[in-house]
Amino acid sequence: MQRRTHRNAGRTAALAAVLLCGVALVPPIAGAAGLGGKAVGNESVTAAKWGVTASVTTMTFTTTADQTSTVTNNGTVALVAESYSVTVSNPTGGSPTFKVFQCAVAWSGNLCSGTAGTQVGGTLAKNSTTTITSTTAMAVSGLLYLQVEPTGVTASTVVTISTKIAAPSQLRAAVKTNQ
Amino acid sequence: MSKHRHTAMKGASYGKIAVSGLLVTSVGLLATAGVYAGLSATATGAESVTSGTLNLTLTADGTSSGFSNFTPKMAPGDTDNVYVNLNNTGTLATAAGMTLAVVGTPSNALTNGSVAGEGLTLTATQCSVAWTVATGVCSGTTTTILATTQVSTLSTASALSNVPTLAAATGQLAHVQFSLGLVATETSTNGVAPGSTIQGLTTSLGFTFTEQQRTGVATNQ
Repeated sequence: MQRRTHRNAGRTAALAAVLLCGVALVPPIAGAAGLGGKAVGNESVTAAKWGVTASVTTMTFTTTADQTSTVTNNGTVALVAESYSVTVSNPTGGSPTFKVFQCAVAWSGNLCSGTAGTQVGGTLAKNSTTTITSTTAMAVSGLLYLQVEPTGVTASTVVTISTKIAAPSQLRAAVKTNQ
Repeated sequence: MSKHRHTAMKGASYGKIAVSGLLVTSVGLLATAGVYAGLSATATGAESVTSGTLNLTLTADGTSSGFSNFTPKMAPGDTDNVYVNLNNTGTLATAAGMTLAVVGTPSNALTNGSVAGEGLTLTATQCSVAWTVATGVCSGTTTTILATTQVSTLSTASALSNVPTLAAATGQLAHVQFSLGLVATETSTNGVAPGSTIQGLTTSLGFTFTEQQRTGVATNQ
């Protein structure tokens, strides 16, 4: 029994020796390609965010009194244009129309620094959704003041304003940086 | 029992014969060696060899800060130009050709292509002389070594085009402008980005350049 154990040990040693020789004699294929050089570098980048918010997005008109909403650039990039999707509900009576005006300062007594302000888009009819666009530049955190002016309101009419900023056309001009 | 003793005695005799044989053989071998020692001769020669080195390094080109940190918030259409030199500072020339892998950490929509058609792009242009970093102008000859490519496709090493052999001599290097751009066509509504967006994301791009040594040379001397 002991002799058999010794014989097995001998066989194992011989097999190991053969395997080791085999490994040593196999050509180093991985090294056959020769030397390689490697260089690394890192550059970190952060993308901008773009968008504007409106302080009031739903206006209910039961009279012809004007209503206002303040628009804020809440992104991290300046804008050159802003779009508004304006939806006018279908009132139970009458055919009211609406106009949207903008001002660089807050409206005072329905006036923009004593003027009527700048109209954005055309006249908006009831039961419609229209996208209007202003080409006013807005800095980051900049403000713009809208005023919605109704005409012919005889029944409760709801106007909703949804702001939209599309890239890249409504963002500031592209900047090239060499560093 | 008797048979067993007889066998043992027979084995002992064989042992004596074997030992005697070995002694005779050893004496014979020693005598022969003595004879040959008198006739040996030796010749020697020396050949010294030094292995070459291949070291690829990355340095800033001209007044550029090289790969670092693009601090402004990148908007679609913006370009971040970085100027670097790829130098072979070893003693072996490199083979023509080079690979580049770009991996973003963390991996996000800027680098992994998860928002179709959007994300960072990369263009690489080589100048025959150092770039004028302030203006981004090459006063020599420019060669495109990587056409504008989505970074998301560079996560595995890709071959650059037209990269020359970098000789081992001092001053032989490649002046390369890397232009990072951002492509985005998304619309934010009510100040909120779409569900899948590249907006506001940050990533650190790891650029890995790899070259191989020149072809082996057989020298007869």
